[in-house]
Amino acid sequence: MSEKLLDKEIRKQVEEVLSNMKDRVSVIFFVSKERCEFCETIEKLLGELSELTDKLTIRKVSASGEEARSLDIEMTPAIVPLTADGNDKGVRFYGIPSGHEFGTLLKTLVDFSAGATPNISEKTLERLDTINQPLDIKVFVTTSCPYCPKAVLTAFNFAFANSNITASMVEASEFEELSKRFGVSSVPQVVINSSRSFVGAFPEEQYLDEVMKTVAR
Amino acid sequence: MSGFEVGGLGFAKEAKDKYDVIIIGGGPGGITASIYAVQGGLSPLIVERAIEGGQMNNTETIENWTGFKSISGVELSERMAEHARHFGVDFVSSEVTGISQDGDKNIVLLETGKQIEALVLIIATGANPRKLRVPGEREFSGKGVSYCATCDGHFFSGKHVAVIGGGNSSMAEALYLSKIVERITVIQDLPKLTADKMLQDRVKALNKVEFLLERRVKEIRGDDKVRSVLIEGPDGKEEELETDGVFVLIGTTPNSEFLSSVVERDEHGYIKVNAKKETNVPGVYAIGDVIQKEVRQIATAAGDAAIAVHHAILDNFN
Repeated sequence: MSEKLLDKEIRKQVEEVLSNMKDRVSVIFFVSKERCEFCETIEKLLGELSELTDKLTIRKVSASGEEARSLDIEMTPAIVPLTADGNDKGVRFYGIPSGHEFGTLLKTLVDFSAGATPNISEKTLERLDTINQPLDIKVFVTTSCPYCPKAVLTAFNFAFANSNITASMVEASEFEELSKRFGVSSVPQVVINSSRSFVGAFPEEQYLDEVMKTVAR
Repeated sequence: MSGFEVGGLGFAKEAKDKYDVIIIGGGPGGITASIYAVQGGLSPLIVERAIEGGQMNNTETIENWTGFKSISGVELSERMAEHARHFGVDFVSSEVTGISQDGDKNIVLLETGKQIEALVLIIATGANPRKLRVPGEREFSGKGVSYCATCDGHFFSGKHVAVIGGGNSSMAEALYLSKIVERITVIQDLPKLTADKMLQDRVKALNKVEFLLERRVKEIRGDDKVRSVLIEGPDGKEEELETDGVFVLIGTTPNSEFLSSVVERDEHGYIKVNAKKETNVPGVYAIGDVIQKEVRQIATAAGDAAIAVHHAILDNFN
């Protein structure tokens, strides 16, 4: 177990990315008692990340407790980043953020350290502002999909912009039942409010068009 | 699980308002151009909408990039991006939503509404998978029809899939899929495969791949997901082949639609360039898979980049 997940070269790159962190970020890692293929790896990964910056705190918490209920944790393993003020922005990683999704995790940590403010156009912000009821965006990914990070990060930015919106990365291979339920066979597949879905990493405006179709109904 | 890719997204800092060169597209062409630009004394920005390395990320192994006997597409992408970052190249993660000219300046409009200007623009937007354009293709896209084996192969574990196309990308993806799926049927419209011989031999050596040559896919059929493909043989006879998935790997189509009113393109959408890799618009260059040319390879994209930057410097910055 002494061997690191991240090799020396990657650690150097990670350190450089995380050096952009402005404020502290705390990450809650929710686990349950059920068998979990990647839980140990995720815990180790988060631990290694916290060695590479002094701005990251990791807490491992049981998914059967009060905190999981209040944060509405739907399944495990789940990773929830919080801003320095302890703000939940509705952002979740369900499953391991490895492969291309590792970059998504790093980017998200840096974003949270800056208060998780959205980096999207004024027009998109205005349209998102009109959403006044809960909206859930789940982005199904595989860790070998190069187009997926963009689809996840767009959803996260929408969540940053409006507190009615929750956005999750779902690593499809770890949640087979759920993936089957939504008929996922190509990624990224974006599922909105467990009803509507679309496949592909759409540009911001088109992505929002799809999201708004659900709101309009 | 597939390692840990840092990616460029985490590095993306706030882009400045002005650069010497803006490169649209962060594949091997775009990244090489950025490195030559820095070495030529220019400040470059790469605008990438998805991920550095572009299509290389969809290639499991690359064995024709000199210096690496065999390297994964993801790793080569990372290494190229790291090379550019080492020279201080700025990356920004965004779609380009528009390009305009103001005098001799080029102005690039990003998704966020931000405008960035540069004297020189290099278009390195590459290409996307080409569609079959048959009935059922769009309907079953995401329900068994896929254009990215590395993305979606996982969902076909233990199943039978059809791989459409007989070129390099299709054979490479068949090799990748062979580790996941139970059985593969390669369907090619020509009388022979067009992939490099070494690659063909490797696929042929697998005992789970069947080849149907001179067969044209006419339709993709199914219910809530793909069930079969209708194919037509050389004698015009049709047959229905049962399958759980269809991987369409029949070449590419250029990412140049958003440039239709900016630069001259051929009837397929490939951008026309001269020997300097310059388009019909002075100061706007184009390189890699998006231009009109015969050989679309990592090596030729990198070659285009070196040529374009050389001339861009000579003609615009002295």
